[in-house]
Amino acid sequence: MANETVDTAARRPRPPALALPTEGLWANRKVQVALMILVPILALTALAPLLPLQAPLETNLRAIMQPPSIDHPFGTDRMGRDVLARTLAGVKVSLLVGFSVATIALIAGMILGTLAGFFGGLIDRVVMTVVDIFLAFPSLLLAIGLVAIVGTGLIPVIAAIAMADVPRFIRLQRSQVLSLRSRPFIDAARTVRASKGWMMTRHIIPNTVAPMLVAGSIASANAILVEASLSFLGLGIMPPAPSLGNIIRDGQTYLQEAWWISTLPGVVILLIAFALHFLSDGAREELDPRARK
Amino acid sequence: MIDYAIKKSAQLFITVFGVVTLVFFTLRLIPGDAASAMAGDTISGEALDLMREQMGLNEPLMSQYFGYLRDLVMLDLGQTITTRLPIAEMIGNAIPVTLSIALLTILLTVVISIPLGTVAAYMAHKGRTRLDNLLTGFAMLVDLMPSFWTALVFLLLFSLTLGWFPASGMVTLDDPAMFLSRIALPVLVLSVTQIATMARITRTSVLEILSEDYVRTARAMGWSEFRVLFRHALKNAALPIATVIGLSFGNLLNGTVIVEFIFTIPGIGNLLINGINSRDYQLVQTLIVFYALLFVSINFITDLVYRALDPRVSF
Repeated sequence: MANETVDTAARRPRPPALALPTEGLWANRKVQVALMILVPILALTALAPLLPLQAPLETNLRAIMQPPSIDHPFGTDRMGRDVLARTLAGVKVSLLVGFSVATIALIAGMILGTLAGFFGGLIDRVVMTVVDIFLAFPSLLLAIGLVAIVGTGLIPVIAAIAMADVPRFIRLQRSQVLSLRSRPFIDAARTVRASKGWMMTRHIIPNTVAPMLVAGSIASANAILVEASLSFLGLGIMPPAPSLGNIIRDGQTYLQEAWWISTLPGVVILLIAFALHFLSDGAREELDPRARK
Repeated sequence: MIDYAIKKSAQLFITVFGVVTLVFFTLRLIPGDAASAMAGDTISGEALDLMREQMGLNEPLMSQYFGYLRDLVMLDLGQTITTRLPIAEMIGNAIPVTLSIALLTILLTVVISIPLGTVAAYMAHKGRTRLDNLLTGFAMLVDLMPSFWTALVFLLLFSLTLGWFPASGMVTLDDPAMFLSRIALPVLVLSVTQIATMARITRTSVLEILSEDYVRTARAMGWSEFRVLFRHALKNAALPIATVIGLSFGNLLNGTVIVEFIFTIPGIGNLLINGINSRDYQLVQTLIVFYALLFVSINFITDLVYRALDPRVSF
């Protein structure tokens, strides 16, 4: 009998370092709604070159400011460019910004937050003082200030938004690590003389991933909105390269004559942001046992 | 309490000092220097050297830094580099405009969202959740609408199509009627986002209190539902609601930049955007520091007031 127990224990496969209950994720209603919005948008964006649309930068001066029609579902702008084609190209930029910002902020926040929370002391004090300084700026204003320094364009915008986001992730990760640090399983690891690196990567970080992913999903929605705002203010992606923000800015002058240029791309931003929030809500319900309905 | 205030003030001081230092040194990281970045390709050689001299860029970095700190403490904000106007005066003129927008937004938000949230909580408490669901859905929707887009849609609807508000015109405090009609739409745009959020927070706080024993006691004493709801429940929910209003100020500041830009209102937000576009680093530096100061001070005050008023928070 005793032997059997040992045998099963020996034969039992080693658990993966990171086990997220992903099966439930696909069955979650909110996740499904989010995917129902995101997948078509992603597909349209990816297939944009194959669609019977003008190229995003192609002008047609014989068809300027045309209202939405079959040929131009979102109408055309003052240079006869197809607004749908530009919007789809803008979505590509938006998604790239959202994904990059969330990834950078997540990784940087995880590393710095874990170090600050796990070691405490001087590292903690230094990191948190810098975090407090960054959090002293209203978020959009921090991004505006950073863009004023690093300049406009895709990479600077991603860098600026990510930099403004990292402090929030550090805070979240640190608070998670602080509460995990005093849990019995960490004491247990310490008793068997696990190294600090082992404890951080094997015991602490895997337990903090789910809330960070949820925060990352919200951060990506936020980054998309901030990029759009920056581009709208003329501080983000510069024309003629399309971004949802600068398309809307372009249309502002012709709001009365050609309402579709500014309004329709805005609806697309709204849909994407809505889907990402639903995704994070659903993910939280599935991944965080305490948040389950 | 006093101890806590002192400790928090010290923290605030460190943060503010950090903000000033961070802004100063990051602006010095610009490739080339502020003078050549500003001049672009327009001037070079001696003119550029003269400009550097005037901006004090030829002095050692640390003496520039201490000079900057000294000027800030003395509230000597200097002049803009492009237009040679005193920055203190420009900010002084712009602040009342931006603050009017912010304060009117808070006022409108409070007047609408608190009764709305209270009623939603009451109905949810009674098991009728329709208003509740509607509010939740609406809050999520407006929370995600980019404010510049909402502003444009409102501009299109209420100003250009319906003609309820003027889309242009001078904005000066000397002409209060014109001033109000010009900032009405921006205030409305900012309020829409805030109202939904605030109504939801009111709803949550009030709902929690409605299940407290003392509310049942008040009912048992025969007070009218109205009195129970507004005198007992809302009064006790007021503190968290006030705190959230204070903390949402940062979002409001973000929003004012956008609406000032769209509705061409001469507040600090517009000043900032113009400063960046004309590469006036002296102005940008001052404004960014100013925004951060405003933001942390409001958070600081909110925190202190909350702790002073809530007997349950210990020190």
